[in-house]
Amino acid sequence: MTPEAIVRVKGLVKDFRPGLGRRKTRVLHGIDFEVREGEIFGFIGPNGAGKTTTLKVLMGLIHATAGEAEVLGHPVRDTAYRAHIGYAPESPYFYDFLTGREILDFYARLTAVPNASRAARVAEVLEQVGLTHAADTRLRTYSKGMLQRVGIAQAVVHDPSVVFLDEPMSGLDPVGRKEIRDLIVALNQAGKTIMMNTHILSDVEMICDRVAIIVEGRIAYQGAIDGFDEAGDKIFDVTLASLAPDFVEEAATRFGAEPTGRGDRVTFSVAEKHVGELVESALRRGGQVLEVLGRRADLETLFLSAVNDRPESDTRTEEGAA
Amino acid sequence: MTGLRLIQTIALNTVRDAVRSRVLYVLLFFSLVMIASSVTLAAFSYVERERIIQDIALSSIRFFGAAIAIFVGVGLIHREVERRTIYTILSKPVSRAQFLVGKYVGLVATLWMQLAIMAVGYFVICHFNGAQLDHRDAIAVGLIAVELSVVVAFATLFSSFATPFLAASYSIGLYMVGHLTRDLRSMGENSESELIGTLTLWLERLLPDLSAFNRVMEAIHDLPIPPVEAGAALLHGIGWTVAFLSIAAWTFERRDFR
Ligand SMILES: Nc1ncnc2c1ncn2[C@@H]1O[C@H](COP(=O)(O)OP(=O)(O)O)[C@@H](O)[C@H]1O
Ligand SMILES: [Mg+2]
Repeated sequence: MTPEAIVRVKGLVKDFRPGLGRRKTRVLHGIDFEVREGEIFGFIGPNGAGKTTTLKVLMGLIHATAGEAEVLGHPVRDTAYRAHIGYAPESPYFYDFLTGREILDFYARLTAVPNASRAARVAEVLEQVGLTHAADTRLRTYSKGMLQRVGIAQAVVHDPSVVFLDEPMSGLDPVGRKEIRDLIVALNQAGKTIMMNTHILSDVEMICDRVAIIVEGRIAYQGAIDGFDEAGDKIFDVTLASLAPDFVEEAATRFGAEPTGRGDRVTFSVAEKHVGELVESALRRGGQVLEVLGRRADLETLFLSAVNDRPESDTRTEEGAA
Repeated sequence: MTGLRLIQTIALNTVRDAVRSRVLYVLLFFSLVMIASSVTLAAFSYVERERIIQDIALSSIRFFGAAIAIFVGVGLIHREVERRTIYTILSKPVSRAQFLVGKYVGLVATLWMQLAIMAVGYFVICHFNGAQLDHRDAIAVGLIAVELSVVVAFATLFSSFATPFLAASYSIGLYMVGHLTRDLRSMGENSESELIGTLTLWLERLLPDLSAFNRVMEAIHDLPIPPVEAGAALLHGIGWTVAFLSIAAWTFERRDFR
């Protein structure tokens, strides 16, 4: 099954004109990427790389100079399909004369949430983003973190199938970050495709399925961040303890996995299909299973190398890095 | 959802914004004070006292109505872009034209409510000063309402691409020229120079004739207002409103929000 492309960007170019008569600057140099159905897609890059600009083109807020951009198969200039998408801008700002409940009611009306279920839906979303306690206070008194939550709430109040988030965790404390992260994962598990801009790698590493790295307006890398072996199998790190010495050697030859470890703990990196067998035999021999983790690519290395050897004119795109 | 429901939602929200913000009450209060004090001054006059009171009161309503329309109108769209409240709205199935028209309708509705309050003040003043009130006064106020809708339309147009300061300058300029087009035209018709004649003719064709909405004289001197003229003024107002909003929507559609 090949997942369908929810967002398709091809050869996207954007020039900004700083002012009349001034020289134009090219912010996006013909970028290509795809967001597939059901995934959490991380659009990452240093500050000023062009992430927000790209997202604004997708939202129809900025018109592309050249190239194509489609969301759910519609050119981004259309408006009707936007009933099926949600967008939370970076550091969002809302009508602050309204309360949390009123602003969500307003957005729900714009997205044609049926009258009969609107109030209940608004209450449900407020609960989901943890704003029930402040629902009837004016937004004027909200903190930055609370506005960030309103931003996500208005993006999902109409139950869209795709959600676009621009730096959704910026300006939040560690607890807030975790809550938003969990919320994003929950939305994804509820079947929504998510595209998320960020310059914070740890957020991406924790929740994203695939990423595109954008550097100075060019895509420097695009692909999954799960680790794969040569045969294309997903790799898992299985950490075991209290093993008999002969077991370590035996397992290493049997599964073709180089054991690494310290003290009593040994970690085997094995293909997904061997995980069950390895765990089972270890348990049978009196060992303990401490951890089974799907390996993720080393995003930091990937990111730093993308930033350091900046692509000059051509755009490199790779699939599935190890 | 139909486009009209979307426009209605945005318009109602705009009215709610106005009703909850202090600026509008300050402006309204200020206007009422100004109207009341001009009337008080006029009350010292011995000749044609009622007419002078009526004249000053109605003219003040026209003037302050337009001033508030321009003052609020020039920030109408600009503020939404500046504060980025427009980002989330346009990411919903709302076209830019629908947003613009919704904001416009909301502001006009707000201004008409203010006008109604000022008109009540006018009627009260007339009543206590023994001035005659009849259908002409109602027509005069009605045409002020039409004029306000035109003024807000061009303020919205300027606000859709310019900063509030520039938009206010353009709007005040257009408001003043709009009141002069008729005089300029008659000047041009009587002029020897063909150039001036052609120039004033085009000025009249290209700009709204705002004096068409001014029936203060007829109202206070109890002169007839031919229904055809009142109807023509109404059509003139609707035509220019549609024209200004169409240009506004056209320019707005092409903008980048960054
Ligand atoms: N309004 C603007 N006018 C001119 N240049 C802009 C404007 N907005 C952003 N840029 C430039 O476009 C580039 C990309 O910006 P942006 O998309 O906001 O980056 P990111 O979201 O990745 O931090 C930056 O170099 C920035 O300076
Ligand atoms: Mg950004």
